[in-house]
Amino acid sequence: MKLRIRLTLMTAGAAVVAGLGGAVPALAEDVTLSMAVPDWPPTRIMKDLFDKNYKAPSGNTVKLDIDFIPWPDYYTRLNTSLTSGENKYTMAVSDSQWLGAFIEAGYYRKINDLIDADPDLKATLADMHPAPLQAYATYPYKSDNYYGFPQMPDIYVNYYRTDVFCNEEEQKNFMAKYNEKLPCSPEEMDAIDWDMYEKFGEFFMRKKGEMLAGKVLDDDFYGIAYQAGKAYDFSTMQINAFIWQYGGNIWDETQAPTGHAEGVVNSPEAVKALEHYLKLTQYMPPVVKTGGMDIFKTDELFREGKVASNIEWIGFAESSINPETSKVADVVAFAQAPGLKVDGEIVRWANIGGQPFVIMTWANDTQIKEAVDFVKWWLSPEVQHQFAAQGGQSAIKSVYEDPKYVTYRPWNRTWAPGLDWQKDTWHIPEFFELLVQGQEQYDLAITGKQDAKTTLDNIAAFQEDLLSEAGHIED
Amino acid sequence: MTDAALPRLAMRRKSRVSRGVGHAGWGRTIGAGVVSLIYFFPVLWIVLTAFKSHSDALAVPPKWLFTPTLENFVQVFNRAYSADGVAVDTKFDLFFFNSIFIAGTSVALALIIGTLAAFGFSRYPLKGNQTYLFIILTTRMLPAIVVIIPILIMFRVTGLAGTYVGIIMLYTAFNLPFTIWMMKSFFDELSPDVEDAARLDGSSDTKVFFKICMPQVYAGIAATAVFGLILTWNEYLFALLLTGVQTRTVPVAMAQTIGGDIGVRWGLLAAIETLFLIPVILVTFFLQNHLLRGVTFGTVKR
Amino acid sequence: MTTDTVPVSGGLPRLLELRADNWPLAIILAVVISIAAIALLPPEISFWVALAACILAAGSAVYNAWGRYKGGLLVAPAIALLFIMNIFPLMWSLGLSFFSYRANRARAPVFVGLDNYADILTDPVVWERLQTTAVLVVLTVTVQMVVGFLLAFLFAKQFPLRRYLLILVLTPMMLSYVAVGAFFRYYYEPTFGLLSQFVRLFTGEPYILLQSTEGAMAGIVFADAWMWSPFVMLLVLAGLVSVPKYLYEAAAIDRASFWRKFTSITFPYIRGLLMLALLFRTIEAFKLFDIVFLLTEGGPGTSTETVSLYLFRQAIQFNKTSDSTTISYILLFTVIVLTNLYLYFVNRRARETQS
Repeated sequence: MKLRIRLTLMTAGAAVVAGLGGAVPALAEDVTLSMAVPDWPPTRIMKDLFDKNYKAPSGNTVKLDIDFIPWPDYYTRLNTSLTSGENKYTMAVSDSQWLGAFIEAGYYRKINDLIDADPDLKATLADMHPAPLQAYATYPYKSDNYYGFPQMPDIYVNYYRTDVFCNEEEQKNFMAKYNEKLPCSPEEMDAIDWDMYEKFGEFFMRKKGEMLAGKVLDDDFYGIAYQAGKAYDFSTMQINAFIWQYGGNIWDETQAPTGHAEGVVNSPEAVKALEHYLKLTQYMPPVVKTGGMDIFKTDELFREGKVASNIEWIGFAESSINPETSKVADVVAFAQAPGLKVDGEIVRWANIGGQPFVIMTWANDTQIKEAVDFVKWWLSPEVQHQFAAQGGQSAIKSVYEDPKYVTYRPWNRTWAPGLDWQKDTWHIPEFFELLVQGQEQYDLAITGKQDAKTTLDNIAAFQEDLLSEAGHIED
Repeated sequence: MTDAALPRLAMRRKSRVSRGVGHAGWGRTIGAGVVSLIYFFPVLWIVLTAFKSHSDALAVPPKWLFTPTLENFVQVFNRAYSADGVAVDTKFDLFFFNSIFIAGTSVALALIIGTLAAFGFSRYPLKGNQTYLFIILTTRMLPAIVVIIPILIMFRVTGLAGTYVGIIMLYTAFNLPFTIWMMKSFFDELSPDVEDAARLDGSSDTKVFFKICMPQVYAGIAATAVFGLILTWNEYLFALLLTGVQTRTVPVAMAQTIGGDIGVRWGLLAAIETLFLIPVILVTFFLQNHLLRGVTFGTVKR
Repeated sequence: MTTDTVPVSGGLPRLLELRADNWPLAIILAVVISIAAIALLPPEISFWVALAACILAAGSAVYNAWGRYKGGLLVAPAIALLFIMNIFPLMWSLGLSFFSYRANRARAPVFVGLDNYADILTDPVVWERLQTTAVLVVLTVTVQMVVGFLLAFLFAKQFPLRRYLLILVLTPMMLSYVAVGAFFRYYYEPTFGLLSQFVRLFTGEPYILLQSTEGAMAGIVFADAWMWSPFVMLLVLAGLVSVPKYLYEAAAIDRASFWRKFTSITFPYIRGLLMLALLFRTIEAFKLFDIVFLLTEGGPGTSTETVSLYLFRQAIQFNKTSDSTTISYILLFTVIVLTNLYLYFVNRRARETQS
């Protein structure tokens, strides 16, 4: 320990000297890619795979200098590093919403030239599902300007408990009450719509002391949960899904500059959608009334066995099947998130999650070359399979269509059908202002302080103003 | 005479008016004990959570009796970051060292620089003394966010970002205002007679400072150190933005237990916080008697 | 006027004299060199040139002052460090508040004079946040004062185990905000939380504290006051232990009532400290951020969003750099007024003790 501390001191001293003396010129064959990433399993697995397997095709010794930053502060840290101009990172993992804000500032490098110059990379991107590619790479959204590559693609799925849903007693009672079969298998669960989901909520809401699946409950139990929190984007992501499913829209940046917020954001369809979203929250655990029901809380409620079903990002699934962190590990099953039944078909539009990699504009030619090689390595089928085998997801068609893919994890069967229904929210630089105001208004609605119409009217008016001023809405 | 003056000085301090509102017995101990335990309860719960297994941490109803486990403490230093991964070094030993080293050094530096300045303000009044002191105090009252960008740019240009030197300099400046304020009032309080007598005897100013003034303000230094430590120990914003992978402190690293693939790792967070409390509690405990003096910015006995 | 006073006309030659202790010349040279370096050289180099020039100027001043201005020399290192780390960034920010600038836009800053101040001061949102902050400040400081005061009285006498019990009460101050935020969120949470579990013992229903604005405010105030009441306690305790014993002994001979002892002996000794505690905690409470951000994130809606949280959103989330510096300066102005009050009370107390 003592030696260790001394070594640390010496390294620190050396770092200071290096810092004061200006950058030491790197040897031609040593390249460091320093990367800012959020601290969680998908990035830890990546670092692990890199350290074990990576050999740069160029023959250079490539060092991946990863700064694992805790998720809660990740944006603050990355934003401050970028805006201060310290040019500390050559690459970063970025949320897709952040693209515009950091591209307009000149931080994220456009990669069209890199793609054009590299047939392999081009082929890889062509093999990618268009929904995640557009969400993670394009700015303006759905344009031909590319900026990123998927690191961890993500969608939300339905986590549910088979011990509750497949229980004979519950099956019988459900049939008696609704004259419909309570879904049990993942295939049956795939087919449900929000009305059915609401019935789960009503049916499984039980008080302490009542029976659930043949056992006496030692605490209140709830049927359903989805995100309805105040922080970051922890209600917008689910509300957007409802709005799209109802045929409404959020302010659509692909329609700029003629698309408006007023009349679109608060269209009758959108109001109906928000009303539907709010109606379901009455069947959820009481924390929903505080704006505290973020993606972490719903996950915790599910893992602690307080709810029968939860709509949640796949990124949390690993901890729910791990008996060390989950009380329902042996009974959890996964299905596609519910949708809205329109003319007998289920419409499942949803907001995509996940994060892309980006390369910074100040990366030098050697670093860019190594970064592209690194990305190609990461997106190669072999590595993507290894990543998926440890619980990650892949946006590459040939990988996720491989029959092996669905065997890695129980939720992977929802992946391919789910991807077809993904859209993304705004990529414009003003995204955070839109997001914060939206979350504030939704929070008022969720905590029961205003109705859906007022909420969306307020949001539309704010967005119309802000976007007109920013030049995204003209005429 | 200089050396002979010291015992007399000690007597002088002892013969001061005795203060305090007297003694109470075990009855007060019981009353204060109940109140303290209620007050301490939220901390106690954190400490208990540190010894709980994952399934006990959020149990409903809350578990008072449980099989304690040290697993969380092991995981602070060594854990797997993904479900299938192998346990790796979390570098928390480095983070603990960083916190202790950075807080300790900056508090010590602030004491040295601040004590000199306080002595200067106290013994050699400058023109506009009050104004200087006021400006010094004002720097302590700023919203930190406002200076972040200029400081980052400054650190970038000088290569100080992510180094120990940078964050220590910043924390030293952060600690200086109240160090100066407190130490000044301690120096103000000393009787000038002894110093004058020593000077008449031909002692140099340096000797007067080290041999006569310093021994009398040790208590003040101890109090200032404790208070500086408490304020620096949990500093978050600068630590988040100005430390690098090698110089990260515990409060920043602690946030990795929140909001990754799982809401909060309760046991792990509690274990880190429990370990992180130990050094500062120990220091406070041993220097406790002086703390009463320190907390008032040195104005108690003015 | 003595005859050897330097005539005005002699000022210039003396200024130009090349001597090591000619600090005015050194400062002028340093300024000229620095400006030239900043204008002509790339920033990485100009910084070091400017720094070297400043060190030379400072060295000259020190050389000149050696033996004459001890006080100034003793104070200099502290002033220098504060200048570099605090005053300089502050001036930079002050400058930015007169420009229109966003840190994440490639556009150069545009001078707008006092427009930012006019915009911010007429923005109803800012006033709303200031009101929220004021309410929270009043509530949390009041609770801290009362609780701190009572705790101090509890600990004012010597009793067995006092040292150990006092540490228990002081611990909340030493906790990290990350842990306090996470755990208080958990304590208030209706399903798992201890508060709700406790209330359920009596009502059978989960208790949802953070549902209403009032509840959210109460939650924030409770957590913040819990953490910082020990601070007030220490201040008051320091006052209590400084009361000379002979005063109480005299009062005992006079058989003064408890209330009389309190108003005529104890209170005068702690009054100044109470005012200090009040002002110091008020200043800190104006910066209330972490607890609010971690517990409610300003919700429900924006009903608990403090001006510091608003400032964070403007500065970091929206990158409205110059707007955020403007808000900071309005805040700083408030803080300076408060600090002046603080100093007024310190000085008045000093005068009282002397007289």
